[in-house]
Amino acid sequence: MSLASPGGGERVLTSRQMAVYRFTRNPAAMVGAFIVATVILAALFAPWLAPSPESAGSFVDFRNRHAPPSWDNPMGTDNVGRDVFSRVIFGYRVSLGLVVGVLGVAVPFGVLLGLMAGYFGGWVETVIMRFTDIMLALPPLAMALAITAVLSPNLINAMIAITLLWWTWHTRLIYRIVKAQMNEDYVEAAKLAGATHTHILFRELLPNCISAIAVKISLDAGFVILFGASLSFLGLGIQPPTPDLGTMVATGAEYMPEMWWQAVMPGLAILYAILGFNLLGDGLRDMLDVEL
Amino acid sequence: MSAPLLDIRNLTIGFRAYGQYRRVLHDVSMHVDPGERVSLIGQSGSGKTVTMRTIIGTLPMPPGEVENGTIHYDGRSLLTLNKIERNKLKGTGISIVLQDPMLSFNPVLTIGRQMDDIVRYADLRLGIARGRAERRAHIVDTLAKVQLPQGDRILESYPVMLSGGMRQRVLIGMALLNKPHLLIADEPGTALDVTTQDEILALLNRLVAEEGLSLLLITHNLGVVREMADRVYVMEQGRIVETGPRDAIFTAPAHPYTRRLMAAVPPLYGPDVQTIENAHTEPEPAISVQAVSKDFTTRSGLFNQRRSTFRAVKGVSLNVMPGDIYGLAGESGSGKTTLAKMVLGLVAPTLGKIDVDGQPTSAAAGTTAFRKLIQIVYQNPGSSLNPRRTVADQIAVPLKFTGFEPARIAPRIAELLEMVDLPRDMANMYPHELSGGQKQRVAIARALSVHPKILVLDEPTSALDVLVQSTVIDLLHRLRDEFDLTYLFISHDLSLMRNFCNRVGVMLRGEIVEEGPVAEVFGAPRHAYTRALLAAIPVTTDAAEALKPKVSKEERAAVLNPTTALGG
Repeated sequence: MSLASPGGGERVLTSRQMAVYRFTRNPAAMVGAFIVATVILAALFAPWLAPSPESAGSFVDFRNRHAPPSWDNPMGTDNVGRDVFSRVIFGYRVSLGLVVGVLGVAVPFGVLLGLMAGYFGGWVETVIMRFTDIMLALPPLAMALAITAVLSPNLINAMIAITLLWWTWHTRLIYRIVKAQMNEDYVEAAKLAGATHTHILFRELLPNCISAIAVKISLDAGFVILFGASLSFLGLGIQPPTPDLGTMVATGAEYMPEMWWQAVMPGLAILYAILGFNLLGDGLRDMLDVEL
Repeated sequence: MSAPLLDIRNLTIGFRAYGQYRRVLHDVSMHVDPGERVSLIGQSGSGKTVTMRTIIGTLPMPPGEVENGTIHYDGRSLLTLNKIERNKLKGTGISIVLQDPMLSFNPVLTIGRQMDDIVRYADLRLGIARGRAERRAHIVDTLAKVQLPQGDRILESYPVMLSGGMRQRVLIGMALLNKPHLLIADEPGTALDVTTQDEILALLNRLVAEEGLSLLLITHNLGVVREMADRVYVMEQGRIVETGPRDAIFTAPAHPYTRRLMAAVPPLYGPDVQTIENAHTEPEPAISVQAVSKDFTTRSGLFNQRRSTFRAVKGVSLNVMPGDIYGLAGESGSGKTTLAKMVLGLVAPTLGKIDVDGQPTSAAAGTTAFRKLIQIVYQNPGSSLNPRRTVADQIAVPLKFTGFEPARIAPRIAELLEMVDLPRDMANMYPHELSGGQKQRVAIARALSVHPKILVLDEPTSALDVLVQSTVIDLLHRLRDEFDLTYLFISHDLSLMRNFCNRVGVMLRGEIVEEGPVAEVFGAPRHAYTRALLAAIPVTTDAAEALKPKVSKEERAAVLNPTTALGG
């Protein structure tokens, strides 16, 4: 819209200030940021924050098993008397570890392939994008089940399985952004200046993808947590006694509905984290003005 | 004297955004009398679009806020009128012709459907009952008024099937469908070639006279204003700085801003025309284009079969001598940009040969020596500068990749910024912090960083306001003298070429139809197309108007694409 503002005198905001303004005036985004901050802090300082850190291990307290939520055990206790609240806090450690592990590999890999496919075009584009299409056509949960079943179920293998499926989305996203940029004169100008492919890929094209990557990562984080929890719920992810939200839901489900807290509380914890990442992602998207 | 049809009094409008309030219109008063043609002139950001949007009621509020003032149409207050009454005025009272004929249509609906909707909904609002056939007859009649006699065929067409000139005509027809009294035209024809624009302006003028319309024309082009207005308002930074009858404004502008605007428009003819000389006498051309042709092949289908071949450039030969500012003129699609890309070695010619500084581009393109020899400044600095890299980063790119000593890059950037009259601390800014003119200066600095001998200038000022354009043009002239540069200047703006170049070649559909020193080509154009082009340019003085070449209707028709026929 060409509503450029004439009239000087006022302080001109930089685009960063405007972005921060948009974010801070967006209640949903602020709530998301708060939730994500609590989740990250809980994960980082779990041993100090958890009321009963020993509950994270194979600690048992049969006198106190199946206790409903109370001041001592805000989320009740499980079938061997461990504090569910403490296990949820430690569970976030595992979940965030999964997020960092998966996205730490999948994002750089996916982004690199997307950059190359968009920039080089030709057969490079055909090979990368058709391979991406094939990967996208595989049903993700079935694939992950197959991979973890073959490799024996544990955290690392769950991570590998999710990573193998995750990079495709980033390749697609970056490919599209780079393709659009290829029509811009600055790419041609860089070529005319004799710039190397490495320079154009990482100095000219990549900086224009960063906003989109940031938003995508934030939205992804929630889904990776959910995906990991689903695998654990099916018994193919993290194995006991490591406190994992999906495993906790699965174990707690056996005691439904009477001892509901054992499944519902970890379930709510998953919901809380995913909600936080999604709200944050939406807020970042509005703030950075990117389309995904 | 009758009461004004549109009467704006003391309009003050502001925007509230990011916690700040910014006033964009200051106490604007203007009026349009019945049957009068009024122009609102202003550069981008002057507030003319805000004024227009407030009149037609499409200013988003919030963030917009009317602080003070009234708008009356035919005695009724538009700002306080209820929605239903206001909607009744749409198209029947006030109608608008928008600037971009492509963006104003829905690409997936036929023209007929889109026009019928306009009539149908207006009928509903006004309580008129008309059948489909009746409406269609009315639409075909209206299209005939805008010189589109084959209305039935146009109604079946989709927007992409029409030429730019036809779309603009249909758009005017749309505005006329419900017999408005006031027509608001926002930069009509600006997006079109000059010959088409000329036809559109003539059409608007005729319609205003024949249909008894009032016209509010919003534009930045003073030449257009001279042809299209009885009375003029000049807007600067949200204020009306000068108003008066057209002739008074054009012959004796009172406000310094108006005078600056007038002075910045490059004159096509008359005593103010600046003639550029080339003092160099080297016999070897800097750029030699020898019988060059370029074919483009479209491919499609499962196996990328060759579908059709289009010859964009047809056997062009030209010599650019050292020190020349060679203007390559032509309308969109004439092949001038393709030719420039071949000179830069970005596209290989299908036939023929191009030598730059004595070396064939086929061998030299891509070498460091070639990059140090020839560089380009693009049309749109918004696209030629990377939005995520600082000014210094961008200027450094050519330096880095032509083996410049890393330690000397920073001082060289400072030197370059100074050369293009930019402050040194701009080096750390991002493009969005710069104005359009500053961005183009950065692009020029980048092109000059490796001491090239030749610059290709691809419409370097077409995205800029006329005041900014004149400063960039002055800078380019100064740099040419200082560094002994040769320019190949591509443009559709012949007025600018007259004052910027020393030689000019006119391209039409891939061929150079006329070529020579600027004074000769403009003074005595030989080819009918050159004459048609020159005759179509809106000029700012009567003296220049009288000096423009005359061109007969037959001559015009012979060289121009007919815009009134389908598929033309």
